This record gives sequence, structure tokens and C-alpha cells, in this order.
Amino acid sequence: MEMTNEFVASVVISGLVIVFSALIILILFVALFGKIFDSINSKQKKAVTKKTEEPVSIPAKAPAPAPVPEIEDGIGDEVIAVIAAAVAAMGAETGKKFALRSVKHSMSSRGAWGNAGVSESMRNF
Amino acid sequence: MIQSFLDTLGDLLMESGLAGLTWKHLVMICISFIFMYLAIKKNFEPLLLLPIAFGMLLTNLPNAGLYHPELFDGANVNIQEIFSNGGLLDLLYIGVKFEVFPPLIFLGIGCMTDFAPLIANPKSFLLGAAAQAGIFLTFVGAAALGFNANEAGSIAIIGGADGPTSIFVSSKLLSGGGPYSVNTGSIALAAYTYMALVPVIQPPIMRLLTTKKERVIRMDALRPVSKTEKIIFPILVTIVIALLVPDATTLVGLLMFGNLLKESGCCERLVKTAQNELMNIVTIFLGISVGATTTADKVFTIPFLKVIVLGVIAFSVGTAAGLLFGKIMCVVTGGKVNPLIGSAGVSAVPMAARISQKVGAEYDPTNFLLMNAMGPNVAGVIGSAVAAGVLLSIIPV
Repeated sequence: MEMTNEFVASVVISGLVIVFSALIILILFVALFGKIFDSINSKQKKAVTKKTEEPVSIPAKAPAPAPVPEIEDGIGDEVIAVIAAAVAAMGAETGKKFALRSVKHSMSSRGAWGNAGVSESMRNF
Repeated sequence: MIQSFLDTLGDLLMESGLAGLTWKHLVMICISFIFMYLAIKKNFEPLLLLPIAFGMLLTNLPNAGLYHPELFDGANVNIQEIFSNGGLLDLLYIGVKFEVFPPLIFLGIGCMTDFAPLIANPKSFLLGAAAQAGIFLTFVGAAALGFNANEAGSIAIIGGADGPTSIFVSSKLLSGGGPYSVNTGSIALAAYTYMALVPVIQPPIMRLLTTKKERVIRMDALRPVSKTEKIIFPILVTIVIALLVPDATTLVGLLMFGNLLKESGCCERLVKTAQNELMNIVTIFLGISVGATTTADKVFTIPFLKVIVLGVIAFSVGTAAGLLFGKIMCVVTGGKVNPLIGSAGVSAVPMAARISQKVGAEYDPTNFLLMNAMGPNVAGVIGSAVAAGVLLSIIPV
């Protein structure tokens, strides 16, 4: 291809114009969806701060005493402490408050013979 | 019997590499040693420079028969002949000749690139675009030095500071009938050499074009970018660039595909393969076969010397254009942009961004520009791919 001055100038000008315009279009798109996400995030933040502000706005009220959990006989204090700690940890992770209302032995739906049958058939695995 | 022994010995000697060894071969072998030294001892882009240097050594050992440049001369490459009579490096070079390897490298780069700094500050795209001025201004220089359009385009793309893009563009532009005074190997060699020399070339230009007051400007921390934004970005860029500059789709598409794999978070295995095994395999094949094209008869020419000179001009002009645009942005934003991040608009990732950080830290050690410089740096990768597409669409093959 012959390199006339006109061709060289057209390569330089059109090259720079196309590169800039392509990237400016990208700027507009990226800035646009950045703003959309910003507004979504700020709405979510407002909702979260409203929720957290509510209890602060009524400091006169004393916090309600935690209900005393009903504990079945035969369950030791250590077991209760472990269960309470696990519930508190789960609450800290999710940001929700949980209360321990009662601790009971779980009732097995199977009888002793049923349990024996299950353990026998599962032994190979 | 002694006579037949001597005849055999003579025949063996005539067929050996020693018989075909010329001073040009010896010089090229010495240059390959220098590149090996730079890669091993100085750690200059060793992953690419070492395979290129060894390819250079292999191709300049006469009669080894690993690479035959004549098989790739001309517009029509006879694949059957390459499979029948070609050497190992001829077979590997098919991946370069038919532009297979560079996009695969881009796929791996996409898997490793975090576009968050660019999404957080999209104005960085402007610096990535400004730094491409080096490409187009070098086109003028190449034209003035007597190169034809295809050669000038191939040389100019060195200013993009992107090895795979340079190989992609030059192998496509130089695939016509020719004759051409430069080849893909010499373009790649110049591009990778200058990329390795970014820490040497850029800082003096940065100091020359910025004031001390500008160098110590602190930039705001970037906002956090959500995962959804990071997933939408590669899809958006692919669609916009493919519609505007279709010739850039191969490079940008693969870059963004790799990035989408990474950001989606659901293709862990594919990401690992693309950024490790696939990238490494392609890098070895690309490096050694590109090195093999630097045969003595192609390098010891005046046009190659011109390529070396124009390459450094392209690189420097790109750096300067990014810096000057950074200065404009500094003025427009009322001193909120440190012009040093402009030089990162050339796409040598992440070296150019590191240089912005390093030069900035020389004047204020507590100033951290790295993340702000990564925006223009990754924008430069997209910008140079777009510039490559523009060159390919304007210049007829």
C-alpha cells in the first residue's frame, strides 16, 4: 500500500478519534452502572441504619430482661453453656438476636430395636 | 579404507553446522546469550525473554533445521508442506502465523486481571486512550523512514507496549504477499525488549514532564466495587468494543472472557487452567517460535535497526502522551489527579503501574499511587487492543 500524506494523516486522526470515542463510550456506560449500583447500595445502607437507629432513639426504656430458659432435668450447666454459646455465635454471624427459651432432650422416633437395625445395616459404610 | 574414513569425515563436516557458520550467526548467538543473561540474571521478563533467547539460539545454529522461514514467506502458506518438511519450530510457528497464540495469552491475562480500579474510576480510560498516541505518531515516523503501510502499522503497535498485541497485529498485517523488510519476529523482539526496559525508559520521561508539586499529589482511595459490577464489566466491554471496532474483538473478547471466568466465581477449574497451564504452554510455544524467526539474515538489516529506533520512540511518546493527559486531568479536577499515573496508560501490566508508584514514592514515601495507577494500566490493555483493531481495519492486508 502506498503511503501518501493523506493516508498517513487519515490513519493518525481516525485512529486517535476511534480509540478515544470507544473508550469514552465505555466511560459513560461504566459510570452509569456505577451510579445505579451506588444508589442501590445507599438505599440498602439507609435501611440498615434505620433499623439500628430505632433502639437508640428510646434510651429511657430499660432493656427487657432475657427470659429464663426452661431446662429439662438431667441436662448439665456445661451443656447449656455450650448451646447458648453456639446460639450467640450464630446470632453474631447473621446479625440477628436469638434467645434460648428451653432445652429439652430430643425424643428419638425410633425404638431400641429400630436403632439396632439401622446401625446393623449401616455398618458396611 | 583410510581414504573412505576421511571422505566420510569430510562429508560429516560439510553437513555439520560448522560448515554453514558465518559471523552473522555468531553475533546472533552472542545476542541470544545477552538476552539469556538479562532474563536469568537481571530478571527482565524472564518468562518470555528466555524462550525467545533460546529460540534465537536454535534458529541461528546452521543446518539444525528446526525453523524454515521460506515456508512462511508469501501470502499463501502451504500447511501440508510444513507438516511434511518442516521442523518442530515450524509447527509451533503456525500458532503465531495464524494468530492463535496471542488471543490465548489474552485469555490468561484476563483471568489474572482485576478491573476493579478501572470500574471504580472509569475516567482512567482516558489515560489508557491517551497513551495510545505513541502508536499513531510512530506510524508517521515509520512512513517518513520509507516503510510501507503494513510495515509501519506493525512497527507502530510496539508503542502499545503489549507483546501479544504486537505479534497479533504484525503477523496479520505482514501475512500478505509482501515483500516486507521486517517480520513478526523482529517486531516481537523489539516489543518485549522495550517492555522489559520499562523501568529504565519511563522514569526519566516522568521526571521531565512533571513538577515536584504534581508528583506528591495524593489521590483519593477508590470506592469498593461489587461483584455484580465486576461480572457486568467484561460483558459490557466485549459488546461495546465488538460493535464499534470489530477487528479488536478477538483480543478484547478473549481478554474479557478470561475476566468473566475469574469474576463469575463458578469456574474455578477453568480459571486455574487458563492462568496457569494453558498460559504457560502457550507462552513457551510463542516465545520459542518467535525467537526462531530472528534469523541472522532478517536481523542484520537496516530496517531492523530502524525498528529498534522507532520502537523506543513509540514507547516514549506513549508514556509522554499519558503523562501530558494526566496533567490535563490534574488541572481539570483541581489537583485531584497525580499526573504520574498517566504513564501507566501504556499497557505493560503491572510494571508500568509499579513505576508510577515507585516514582511517586521517591518524592513522598507515604503516597500510595499503585491502585490508582492500575486503572489506566488495565485501560491501556483495552486501549491498545482497540488501537490494534483500528490499524487492522484501516490498513489493507
